[in-house]
Amino acid sequence: MPIPFPSHEWVKAFQDRLNNSAAYADVAKNWESDVLFHIEYPDGSIQLLYMDLWHGQCRDAHQVPLEGRDKKAAFRLTAPLANFVKILKGELEAMQAMMTGKLKVQGNMVVMLKNIPTVLEFVRVAQQVETDFPK
Amino acid sequence: MNGYHGQLLVVHLTTGQITTRALDPALLLDYLGGSALSAALLYPSLTRDLDPLGPDNPLLILGGPLTGLSGPAEGRFTVCAKSPATGLWGEANCGGFFGPELRFAGYDGLLVTGRASSPVYLWIRDDHAELRPADHLWGQADTYQTQEKLRAEVGEKLARVLCIGLAGERLIPFSLLLCDHGRVAGRTGMGAVMGSKNLKGIAVRGAQKIPLAREAEFSRLRSAANLALRNETVTTALRETGSAGGAEYFDFMGEMPKRYFTSGVFEGAGKVSGAVMNETILTGVSTCHACVVACGRVVTLPGERPGKGPEYETMVGFGPQLLVDDLAAITRLGRLCDAYGLDSISMSGVVGLAYLLYAEGRLSASEAGGPLNWGDPTGAERLIHLTVRRGGLGEILAQGARALGRHFGAEELAVQVNGLEVPYHDPRAASGMSLVYATSPRGACHNQSDYFLLDILRDAREETGITLHDRFDGPEKAASVARHQDWRTVHNALVHCFFAAAPPQMILDLVNTATGFDYSLTGLFRAGERAWNLKRAINHRLGLTRANDQLPKLLLQPYADGGAAGFAPDLPAMLSAYYAARGWDEATGQPTRETLQRLGLAAVADDLWT
Repeated sequence: MPIPFPSHEWVKAFQDRLNNSAAYADVAKNWESDVLFHIEYPDGSIQLLYMDLWHGQCRDAHQVPLEGRDKKAAFRLTAPLANFVKILKGELEAMQAMMTGKLKVQGNMVVMLKNIPTVLEFVRVAQQVETDFPK
Repeated sequence: MNGYHGQLLVVHLTTGQITTRALDPALLLDYLGGSALSAALLYPSLTRDLDPLGPDNPLLILGGPLTGLSGPAEGRFTVCAKSPATGLWGEANCGGFFGPELRFAGYDGLLVTGRASSPVYLWIRDDHAELRPADHLWGQADTYQTQEKLRAEVGEKLARVLCIGLAGERLIPFSLLLCDHGRVAGRTGMGAVMGSKNLKGIAVRGAQKIPLAREAEFSRLRSAANLALRNETVTTALRETGSAGGAEYFDFMGEMPKRYFTSGVFEGAGKVSGAVMNETILTGVSTCHACVVACGRVVTLPGERPGKGPEYETMVGFGPQLLVDDLAAITRLGRLCDAYGLDSISMSGVVGLAYLLYAEGRLSASEAGGPLNWGDPTGAERLIHLTVRRGGLGEILAQGARALGRHFGAEELAVQVNGLEVPYHDPRAASGMSLVYATSPRGACHNQSDYFLLDILRDAREETGITLHDRFDGPEKAASVARHQDWRTVHNALVHCFFAAAPPQMILDLVNTATGFDYSLTGLFRAGERAWNLKRAINHRLGLTRANDQLPKLLLQPYADGGAAGFAPDLPAMLSAYYAARGWDEATGQPTRETLQRLGLAAVADDLWT
């Protein structure tokens, strides 16, 4: 059954997918950074999803309550909801989005550039989550 | 005249006479500056029988209306003449501080004609300009030492110096001009043109104000534009990782060539990138005049003083193209090119071809002074020294990749277009570059259009009207490529750095408030199109035909592996669509009379078609 995006249930389902992906475990074996997804709605509100990614596994994943909007992570990836949806639907390639500012990166860009296969496999797994996209 | 001083400094080296020449306001309005205005000013002088290394080849150094005004990445200038590398339109583009300083001295540009009877340098201090002997510098110093010596001689620590190295003195057709911390006017052999005139260098210092049409408004816009540029993602990436920051992604997409354009993969590619540089040898960054991007790399190798680090082209040319994964060795090869005054794109292209010829058994170790094994940078260093000495094989190397291939009966292996070695953005991964390379007015060049970024990143500002296409598309993207070339020709007129991703409306507003012109975005594009067609017309006068619009054989053979395996551009079909989009004659490749007239180039049409 499709899971609404973005939501706590969705990021937990994504975590489960990641932790069962041999391809991700292999390509991300050197990754040691947590990521905060900062999703902007047209009305100005936001939603935050957090994932702790470590050596090919996702150790923690949850929706961050609004009072935790200042939560720190190695990377904060910010974009309008529509751009996140495009990435999940395969209409916008993640590295292109990052390099053109459609997905703003706060964090060490060097790490991203050195781990392109990891980033792309991460997105590929996310696209496997059966998702109910916002209308 | 706002945005300009309205004059060139004119130096007649044969007579030693130094004068000024007023610039025609109508030409400034139509061409703005940089290489576009250069084309208009040099058009009458550039003929087929003009010797590029003869005294009659005029060398023109020009900024643009925004040069030196501290706007977003506006510190650049251009150097133009007939090219000794191609025999066609020659154009090189340079950053640093020299261009702004020339404007501060009260000149929009510098025109050098004739030939001095012995080596000289030019010292410009505002309205005082003089030629001084340079025999003591000729054959002595590398380009960095030359700068230091000239600054000491003129007694101005803050003088900006543009100079040639041994390569320019020895008329190597891919020699460059260098200023500041390794900023270069690299392509098409402008260093050799300067060397042929016995002009070793130019030192300049000035304190003149550049008049502006609406100064307060310009100042406000400039601050906003710099702030906007500072906040761009691409600016952050360039500041953190330099121009080589895209290396990993270009490699992933198969856009970075390896093993002299014959392999789509190289295991060591991940060891040579802007990101790796950042984590290993980077100790600082450098900028051009008032630039918020700061893409320049300062690196420190063990036991050495800090110095220039490689940008993308140098890194790929002496790295993956030779299967070298040693960033320190690549850095040293780039610095050697700078010291000699060699264009590192062309030099690494020549070296890469030599390695391929050696691998194929066409070039022997004895001819090359030793082995040229893939992965070993020592052979490259040896070939660079040989090239500048111009002895033995060096004499062939010094004539460029086309001549080297021809000498060994393998001209088809030389990856060049019209005598200019191809930069390291592969059209087999970004098909737009096939048109860019084939039709560039100065031979294979990524600085007439960096369309690879559109192909790879799939991003264009909507207001430019530049449409996006799949990176492997064919004729359907021809009109988009042409429009992008026009836009980048505007950049090369202003002279505005491609790395500054400022919104077009901001650029337009800066131009209009600085000059008082009333350009629209459409008008700017028209100015770009006009200059592009004028350069094309110049090249036809210099002997270019439709057959010159080609790509080398290796770029038409698909890679067997890597991120772009299996694809080769359909150049003939793309060219036909391109000619149609441009309004060029399919049979001759010339701009039609109607096209030239539409762009206000009726006199050029008469020259071309009668």
